[in-house]
Amino acid sequence: MGELTPKERVLRLLRKEPIDTMPFFSGMGMVVMPGIEKVGCKFAQIHTDASRMAMSAIWSSRLMGFDCVVIPYDMTMESEAVGNEISLYENSEDILYPTIPHKKWKTMEEVEIPKDIMERGRLPLLPKAIKIIKEEAPELPIGCWQLGPFTQAGQMLELDMILKAVFKEKKKVEELLDKLTDMIIELGKWLQASGCDYITLREPGVAADLLSPRTFKELIQPRLTRILDAWKSPKLLHICGQTDPLITMMAECHADGLTVDIKNNIKESRKKLGPDVLLMGNVDTYKITCDPSTTVEQAVEHIKWIIDNGVDAVMPGCDLWPAIVFENMKACVDTTHEYGRRPSPAVGRL
Amino acid sequence: MTTKEELLKQLKEGVINYNEEQVKEAASKAIELGYPALEMIMDGLAAGMEVVGELYERNEYFVPEVLMCADALYAGLDILRPHVPKQESGVVAQVVIGSVQGDVHDIGKNLVKMMFDVAGWQVHDLGRDVPLEKFVEEQLRTDAEVVAMSAMMTTTMLGMKKVIKMIKEKNPNVAIMLGGAPVTKDVAKLFGADGYAESAGNAVQEAIKMIARLREMQQTKAAN
Ligand code: B12
Repeated sequence: MGELTPKERVLRLLRKEPIDTMPFFSGMGMVVMPGIEKVGCKFAQIHTDASRMAMSAIWSSRLMGFDCVVIPYDMTMESEAVGNEISLYENSEDILYPTIPHKKWKTMEEVEIPKDIMERGRLPLLPKAIKIIKEEAPELPIGCWQLGPFTQAGQMLELDMILKAVFKEKKKVEELLDKLTDMIIELGKWLQASGCDYITLREPGVAADLLSPRTFKELIQPRLTRILDAWKSPKLLHICGQTDPLITMMAECHADGLTVDIKNNIKESRKKLGPDVLLMGNVDTYKITCDPSTTVEQAVEHIKWIIDNGVDAVMPGCDLWPAIVFENMKACVDTTHEYGRRPSPAVGRL
Repeated sequence: MTTKEELLKQLKEGVINYNEEQVKEAASKAIELGYPALEMIMDGLAAGMEVVGELYERNEYFVPEVLMCADALYAGLDILRPHVPKQESGVVAQVVIGSVQGDVHDIGKNLVKMMFDVAGWQVHDLGRDVPLEKFVEEQLRTDAEVVAMSAMMTTTMLGMKKVIKMIKEKNPNVAIMLGGAPVTKDVAKLFGADGYAESAGNAVQEAIKMIARLREMQQTKAAN
């Protein structure tokens, strides 16, 4: 299908250059169970080994036709690297993402990010996995991501405490967010230097179902902008949850493209943003890709509806939930490629 | 002398404006003056939380505000609760609550827990990322009438089904209630749960209804 490789397609799209057809890709996890099974291991084992991480990503893309690979899969790498233990749930048969059961820091003042964080915990796996993917699948663009400072704060300390401190100890929260902003800038630059092709800043903990748009503007937006300014292109900004009240502020953060989930009204967002902003989303990552009662026809309709609403690329609204229904997932990707031959608002066609 | 009405108002507004100090002062004053503690809890603290719930629904309050209001409420509860006479409080019932294994989302669960606390239940909070067997063990240990589970993710939600099966095998008289964003009334029913509530606001009422239903069923069974 098409004249471009997935890598050319995605990188051209991110520069708003004409492409052959719309890509199906993401800034967040795209690993699915059939890909993991190909590698011959369990979900819990793809987080701790560079080769398994790389190969499960590649197989997921190849089997499904995704236009990218994205690593890593879990949100605990940085918190682990500063000295927290993680739970991997190696004995569970279910798909359980790694978590941090206890946090060593109790107060915001204690937080201190080691200069050599890239050499700690599982972070050194990432450059290795990138290298493997480049060799094994040069046709696929590699996406990496960093959590935004607020969400990352909730991985380093108790989120409850930080949420309350937003009002009660604003100054301390700002200092904490600044420290994490510096860390995120450095880690992003390091991932780019290690060879990732695009990077996504994802800040799910600040959607308007958690924080007020006013707090977003005061506390979050300046820091997201500082991070994105420090990274080179291509760079994306993703927020999941209720983003309708945030979308114009998101567009002021200097990302090359914005990505949102199913709670966003894409049609309205497109109106607010105009045709020039790269806007991507917003596949329902449970109802459409995982729910066994959803039919292939419904999956196809969902994708057409998203494209008609005015996206420039179809993207899952969050990490793909790995236990996909094979036919429905495949239908989502194929429909994007077939139905996406017409130009989208911000990107023309060859 | 401060009237009861004035103190009720201070408690209520203290919760709404997340003013912990005001709530503590008013609660201590109420005890000093011998006003009924249960009434202060229900018509003061709980009434305030009800307004907070409305402000949240209307997007005037967001999660940080609600959490601060909850702190103010607990500050008052800690002072008033020991003064509620045993027979009056009639400790409504016991509930075991937690977020299921693999799930560290607990903000919603904590709000539900607070509602049970306010309503005078004895709450056994297992926290988050709770191993599935732990729910069963804790229920057996405490003989709680209700087990309430929270899940925010589609897969962790599946763990609930296993817990329901394990508990019902050992003890069919326990009422099990589910909640969390991916859970719906249909899912709860499909998993074999006895109840479901969409938000913290109606969790307690639903729990009481559930127990009543189960008792009724037992009685008809016993009669036959
Ligand atoms: C905050 C948050 C986090 C925080 C959690 C911190 C914490 N201490 O809770 C952090 C950053 C750690 C996190 C991590 C992850 N998250 Co998260 N997170 C959220 C977020 C943004 C908000 C959830 C929240 O607190 N809402 C506010 C509370 C008040 O609402 P609530 O929880 O729904 O609770 C109410 C009701 O549901 C009900 N209720 C809740 N429990 C119960 C129980 C009973 C018995 C009853 C009666 C009622 C009831 O009453 C509550 C009050 O009214 C949501 C997205 C969103 N906007 O909803 C994603 C979301 C839940 N996360 C998601 C995911 C995928 C993850 C990760 C897997 C990401 C990753 N790749 O690692 C990890 C997994 C961590 C883990 N293993 O648990 C997905 C889940 C998708 C799915 N359907 O499966 C969501 C929906 C985001 C998305 N758009 O995809 N997350």
